Amino acid sequence: MSPWRLEFLRLTRTKKWVALVGVYVGFGLMGPLSARYTKQILARVSTDGATITMPDPTPPDGIAQFVSNASQIGTLVVVIVAAGALAFDAIPEMGVFLRTRVSPAWRILVPRIVVSFLAAAVAFLLGTGVAWYETWALLGAPRAAPVLAGAGLGVVFLAFVVALTAAVAQRMRSVLGTVMTSLVVLIAMPLLGLAPAIARWLPTSLANALADLPAGGTMNDYWPALGVSVVATILLAWAAFASAGRREA
Amino acid sequence: MIHTRGLVKRYGTHAALDGVDLEVPAGSVYGLAGPNGAGKTTLLGILAGIRKATEGEVTVEAETGEVAVLPDTPRFDPWLTGREVVALALTLSSAGDAMTARENAERVDEVLAQSGLTDAAERRCGGYSRGMLQRLGIASTLVARPSLILLDEPASALDPQGRREVLDLITTLRGHATVLFSSHILGDVQEVCDTVGILHHGRLLFQGPLSDLLVGRAVPRYELRVRGGADAVAEALAREAWVSSATAAKGGIVHVEVTSLADAERHLAAALAATGASVVSMRPEEVSLERAFLELTS
Repeated sequence: MSPWRLEFLRLTRTKKWVALVGVYVGFGLMGPLSARYTKQILARVSTDGATITMPDPTPPDGIAQFVSNASQIGTLVVVIVAAGALAFDAIPEMGVFLRTRVSPAWRILVPRIVVSFLAAAVAFLLGTGVAWYETWALLGAPRAAPVLAGAGLGVVFLAFVVALTAAVAQRMRSVLGTVMTSLVVLIAMPLLGLAPAIARWLPTSLANALADLPAGGTMNDYWPALGVSVVATILLAWAAFASAGRREA
Repeated sequence: MIHTRGLVKRYGTHAALDGVDLEVPAGSVYGLAGPNGAGKTTLLGILAGIRKATEGEVTVEAETGEVAVLPDTPRFDPWLTGREVVALALTLSSAGDAMTARENAERVDEVLAQSGLTDAAERRCGGYSRGMLQRLGIASTLVARPSLILLDEPASALDPQGRREVLDLITTLRGHATVLFSSHILGDVQEVCDTVGILHHGRLLFQGPLSDLLVGRAVPRYELRVRGGADAVAEALAREAWVSSATAAKGGIVHVEVTSLADAERHLAAALAATGASVVSMRPEEVSLERAFLELTS
């Protein structure tokens, strides 16, 4: 029973993988479908006094609909799943079991961070794949290169989210506190992003790349956020490792 | 194996530990006795490296992988089976690295059997009773054959039979590992430990071989039980020259402190006969750790 298998079992036996895959694949199915039929649905609910007209949906709309639905709820689920694995001091007796056997303490964190990230990334990529396929089937094929680039940037964003959760978990040492604090940070970033000069530097902007790039956005818009995300992910992981070794004061 | 000098742990203004100088000899079974709130868990936490001392020095002559700690209420991921918990403990300790997969599995089976969990080994531990979790904690503590074992109230959650088994298990560790065993159940400490520390309000009141603690406080004493008239019997015995004091207690009990057990053996029966008391029982009182503890802390 290795720590890696322990994390795999945590995902499978607690059914957390179902939540991850369910959210991303579910929205991957629903996003293009709603993009395809929104016009018809709105036409049916139009009244005599008001008529809603919409342009015909394009392939980028299918992907964009998936991103708009999945990015927030998906990120929330990723934070909850990661916090459950990373806040290992939340139950002190479990923390004692690990801390008195594994030294240095960062070795406890490595499999938890990696497996949480991989699970989130696989679920996101599965959802993207489903959305891509359904968009192709219902609306036509979106260009592959922007979709792949957007998916890659989305995966980098998820790495940032998991690293942030890991760093917060070592400070908060409770699952609820970790989830709430991580979400506050993630919600605060788009608020900061209301200032255009800042927006392109924020990791949260990467979450929208999958919608933006197929619709005509360019990678040049995302290099700053990509650089910041990579650096922040490394720093947050380092902070988590450093804090993990901290004993009760 | 363990040495501390002037160990202090403060929570705000409250001193949970106040200048503790602990000496745990290698290979000993050391009983850290004290009431709830004495500072036992805090001391074990510092020795285990999961709490930080406010002041003082701590020397533990064992690497992290050679130290195993059992908290008073062990908990594990509830979706793991008992066997998986023990196997994980073996893997994490790195002791399993030197063994083959088959040897690891055999070792896990061995400690599960020792802990009485063979039948429940494949069940998820979320369904275990508190006593079974305690046994599982003991199994995961012993599996890597640590050289230093820190046990915090290991038998407190167990039924009498389980407690008996745990105490026997600890006894078998003597000579194979150094065991530091905290308990507020003084009878358990007296039964399995060769060295004792008495911790009270964060201070170590006594430390040394159990025999030193008991012999140093040995006062020859008898306990009598009579049917009615205990006060009168106590009064009559108190007048005897070889009796230091005699006091009546509830239930017809009379405690008789004598100048020597030899005098009591020679004169007590006759003195009792002279009082006309109906004697139910009569026995010399052994000095217990509980009595020594009460004398130290009173």
